[in-house]
Amino acid sequence: MGLSKTVRKLRPSDYWRIGEHESWFSELAAKGLHLKKMGIHFARFEKGQPKNMRYRIEVSLKKRIASEQIDIYEESGWEYVTSYQSFHVFSSPSDSDAPELHTDPAEQSFTLKELDKKLTMNASIATLGMILLIGMMFAIWFLDGTPTFVMVEGGVMQQSILSIFLGYLAYTSLQAAISIRTLRKDLKEGKPINHHAPWKKHYRLHSMIAFLFTFAMGLSAIIPFYQLVKMDTKTLPEESSHLPIVRLADVEKNPALVRDESSYMSDNVDWGNRYTYQWSLLAPVQYETDEVGVVPGKVWADESGEYAPSIHTRVYHLSLAGMADNLIEDLIKRHAYDYRAEDVVTTNHPGFDLIRVHEKEETKEVFASKGKVVIYVRYHGYADLHSVIENVEEKVEYF
Amino acid sequence: MAYNGGPMTEAMYYVLLALMRPNHGYQLMHAITEVSNGRVNMGPGTLYGVLSRMQKDGLISLAENDGRRKTYQITTQGEQALRTEYGRLKALIADSRILEEGDGFE
Repeated sequence: MGLSKTVRKLRPSDYWRIGEHESWFSELAAKGLHLKKMGIHFARFEKGQPKNMRYRIEVSLKKRIASEQIDIYEESGWEYVTSYQSFHVFSSPSDSDAPELHTDPAEQSFTLKELDKKLTMNASIATLGMILLIGMMFAIWFLDGTPTFVMVEGGVMQQSILSIFLGYLAYTSLQAAISIRTLRKDLKEGKPINHHAPWKKHYRLHSMIAFLFTFAMGLSAIIPFYQLVKMDTKTLPEESSHLPIVRLADVEKNPALVRDESSYMSDNVDWGNRYTYQWSLLAPVQYETDEVGVVPGKVWADESGEYAPSIHTRVYHLSLAGMADNLIEDLIKRHAYDYRAEDVVTTNHPGFDLIRVHEKEETKEVFASKGKVVIYVRYHGYADLHSVIENVEEKVEYF
Repeated sequence: MAYNGGPMTEAMYYVLLALMRPNHGYQLMHAITEVSNGRVNMGPGTLYGVLSRMQKDGLISLAENDGRRKTYQITTQGEQALRTEYGRLKALIADSRILEEGDGFE
């Protein structure tokens, strides 16, 4: 005996295509690859002498095949090879006088009864699950009417991939149920299984889908971790840094302005003066910042206290420039608390692709985009809108 | 599908017929070939399917089970069903007389 070598191959088509698997095993045996084990996606073969073999796949009512059944088959010249789920593979040399396993297709159709029931059940559950998930996704995306914002923030990326996965599962389980039901019907009508069904027909599509699938599942597993690792919040440095954000000092232009140390400190971060960095597939660079200052000795015009201007910025560098306009719409919807989205005015400015502004008393808001960059600034203080826009323009050039 | 007394499949009929004498799986295939004068060659898959189904329906039962080898026998209910089916087949044959007499329709 020489060294026996094991070869693994991706199954050529869906597990329920009985005839296609039988002919695939036969073709490989003729090339010297003899089936040893069948897994979910891969079949294991042992290299040996080429042999003309017949393969037959039996479906058992219970998941395990009865030893009595194996005995009867082996006594008739059919060797038991392997099982997967409730499918059991037997083989016999083509030139042996072993009788065909099933001589009565109508009787064989009874063996598919339990599998048919199980697959129908699976398909119903998968379909129901998919409908629920779609409903959930729909709610997350559209309930507050800002689907672009939700997608760009990256929170639903994994759920989206997961729902594609579930959709595919539902589709294949439906396909499985339908084709086993059809096979059962055909057998009942006397049409036997085609043991030489061409397996190449589904091979390319099946392996492509399997590959895409593994890739998508891997991605959906990695993305949330990557997002967590990338996400970081720090206290904003006093000095104007390299960050692409509008700084309060640049808008105020008052040397007397000092930082208003926040009362909200957590994890060594001053949350009143912070910047948060985030990553998502659709917006690989995202900043969200807050900054508060005071001008000692100066008071608000209504004498409500010391003049303390503040600024809040959101910056997105998108993967697709085409999302910019929608993101601006969604940002407006999210931030228009005490006014209507229609009150946000579109202005013309050569420095931007789109700029929309809103001004109400001391609060000035700018929603602007250029190329793949979207910036939102909400400033509360006495500097004018023009000064805010000027600064946004400068930062938009940063990328 | 439990047996409801309707016409039997050929496989069912011959298995019951062969089991008038208790027998086990592999031997049964030969007994069926014999009892049908070589006309019916039942595959082991078909045989096993019929055996497990008819056992569930109570038409046959285990006579002996010495671990590996199960010996089956026909039950009273099974014999009754077989005889009913035999009667039906006889009636079929009787009705087919006209085929023997030649031009019966003229």
